[in-house]
Amino acid sequence: MLEVAFVAFWLAMAFYVAATVLYGYQVVTRRAVLSWYATFATGAGFLLHTASIGLRSSATDGTELTGANVLVLMAWALVLVYFLVEHLMKVKTYGALLVPAALVMMLIAQVLGVSRGVLADMTPEQAVLLDNWRVGIHVALISFANAGYAIAAAASLMYVLMERQLKARKATKLFSRLPSLAQTERVAWRSVLWAFPLYSAGLILGVLRAIETDVSLWWADIRVLLSGLVWLVFAAYLVLRWRHGWQGRRGAYLLLAGFVLVVALAVVARTIPAGFHVFGL
Amino acid sequence: MHFVLVGLSHKTAPVVVRERLTFPADAQERSLATLTGIEEIREAVILSTCNRTEVYAVASDTDIGVDSVTGFLADHCDADRHELARYLYIETGEAVVRHLFRVVASLDSMVVGEAQILGQAKTAYEHALGAGATARVLNKLFRQSFEVGKRVRTETAIGESAVSISYAAVELAKKVFDTLDGRTVLVLGAGEMSELTVRHLVSNGVIGVLVANRTFERAQDMAARFCGTAVPFERFYDSVHDADIVISSTAATEHVITKAALAPSAKHRAQPLFLIDIAVPRDIDPAVNDLPNVFLYDIDDLSGVVEANLEERMAEARRAEAIIDEEMAAFFTWVESMEVVPTVTAIRAKAEVIRKMELEKALKKLDLTDKERKTVEALTCAIVNKMLHGPTARLKKVSSDKDGYMYVEAARMLYGLEDSEDKHGPGAFRNLLNLRAREIVEKQKETGEGIGDCGA
Repeated sequence: MLEVAFVAFWLAMAFYVAATVLYGYQVVTRRAVLSWYATFATGAGFLLHTASIGLRSSATDGTELTGANVLVLMAWALVLVYFLVEHLMKVKTYGALLVPAALVMMLIAQVLGVSRGVLADMTPEQAVLLDNWRVGIHVALISFANAGYAIAAAASLMYVLMERQLKARKATKLFSRLPSLAQTERVAWRSVLWAFPLYSAGLILGVLRAIETDVSLWWADIRVLLSGLVWLVFAAYLVLRWRHGWQGRRGAYLLLAGFVLVVALAVVARTIPAGFHVFGL
Repeated sequence: MHFVLVGLSHKTAPVVVRERLTFPADAQERSLATLTGIEEIREAVILSTCNRTEVYAVASDTDIGVDSVTGFLADHCDADRHELARYLYIETGEAVVRHLFRVVASLDSMVVGEAQILGQAKTAYEHALGAGATARVLNKLFRQSFEVGKRVRTETAIGESAVSISYAAVELAKKVFDTLDGRTVLVLGAGEMSELTVRHLVSNGVIGVLVANRTFERAQDMAARFCGTAVPFERFYDSVHDADIVISSTAATEHVITKAALAPSAKHRAQPLFLIDIAVPRDIDPAVNDLPNVFLYDIDDLSGVVEANLEERMAEARRAEAIIDEEMAAFFTWVESMEVVPTVTAIRAKAEVIRKMELEKALKKLDLTDKERKTVEALTCAIVNKMLHGPTARLKKVSSDKDGYMYVEAARMLYGLEDSEDKHGPGAFRNLLNLRAREIVEKQKETGEGIGDCGA
């Protein structure tokens, strides 16, 4: 079954590559007819991606929450959330940024080694920490929240680019291909609106589990500190946007900064083997 | 059948000539009747818009057809035909088809990519169809041209960007606000250009119109036309706060809106402010563009957007030409099938395939000597030739008549020369026979010999 999961994984990546090319080509040529094929390739890739995760989980008696596997789950959540955004907001431009992002995550996961049985390398304390339903939900919530943050960051990036184009008062090719300021701002705001509660709930579950298992100095772990910082940045965005009119450029930069922290956290989580929050690199 | 096009357009004739040679909708039926009443004209369509008047016709002879249509146009506008000929362009054969496809795809329009021409061509065709002036050939040509127009609009971005100053302003506003539904515009100076821009904004969803003018009555007049509100010019800064878009076109010689004056209002805005300065000299201090969430475009900026969009349309037009090439090839494949010689060749090739198949089956059951075999073969050839000689000779004769291609079409239908859409059952067998017949025709073209062994 692992072999089938492996094949499904690579086929999913092949479809994501095709979708990336199609979304990119659609943005460049603005040929709407291509968007259907791009959505189809993403959908086919997503189904294979789902099958790969399911088959691997069945073969290994549950998905091992290693760094690589979590990346695969995050890529899966990102594509799923992107599909929802595409369906609900009727926008396709984001696919040109988000599908390649999911693809890169899967490639990194492959480099890290999806199928390595790293749980065996863990200390007994770490294994006890993971042995609880709360950890699974914690990972799922954080994955979906990160997908939301990624979409907010993609929208903010487009906002910043579009705003520069408008300020420069030049109708370049990029100008005609980017979505409007209002739309990017709306996508960013709504993405954070639902991602932030998921992130908060994910953090609370993680903290509860750490307290429950009596991990000493759990709050001093670099990943915990960084995730606290991420939480603070997005909380600040929500408050400033809601109460102080931080719409526009300032809000976009704040969201981009928040997402840089999310990426930094993901890199740190997989590269620094110190602290209690290490479950295979 | 011979395609003929005689016409004039904004490229060849000034408006003083174009306005004389128009065909209003209510007069088209009579004009078409006159046109198709000419012996050599089999079918005709008159396309008459403000920028062009064109007569598309299928004639029995090219030169006579051109002459007849030119005479018809000269008579219609009561002009000397030699004088009129200076402004006319004449196309024949393949060039007519290409011209129509380019016209319908809006590649020949004054503003390349404008959408109106497709609808105008459809209306012209419907008039001709209603008047009974079209038949098989122009029906096919015009219907295919509409497909071309549709393909060009959906497969290229030829009509997507604004190519006028006022539309460019609307397009830019949409880049800021996404949709203009429910937005409010403040107009400073009730001039013609600002009114045109407001009209476009309102038709795109803007509902609030505030007008400030030094002469308050003019502000009231303009506001009334858009169900808006006139505001005193001295207090227009108060209204900026309520507006999403500001259009300025006053005759002031100094800046009416300055950065310092706008900054407090801009600071407290949650929504962006889009300023359009179409006045010369400019009404709005260019430094206003430095304020956060404020976007300022003057007349030169808007012209720059229009120019860039026009360049992009030209690039898309090149892609549209490729689509036209594809559709031309498809159309002429159909035209060729309507010619009598290929039809007669196809009938004979098909008969030869059937003859050979049946002969082979019969010979398997018989034990014949070589001499007997040759006699039977000659017999089958003679039967086929005699059966086909009369119909094909008559077909060739009537094909030059006015409705000759209808006989050709009937022959193709009766002999089943078009592939069946039914890919199974009897349809599959017909397609197989046609395939074999086409192979025979291809071979004949290569070798230059007659069809099969019968020497027909």
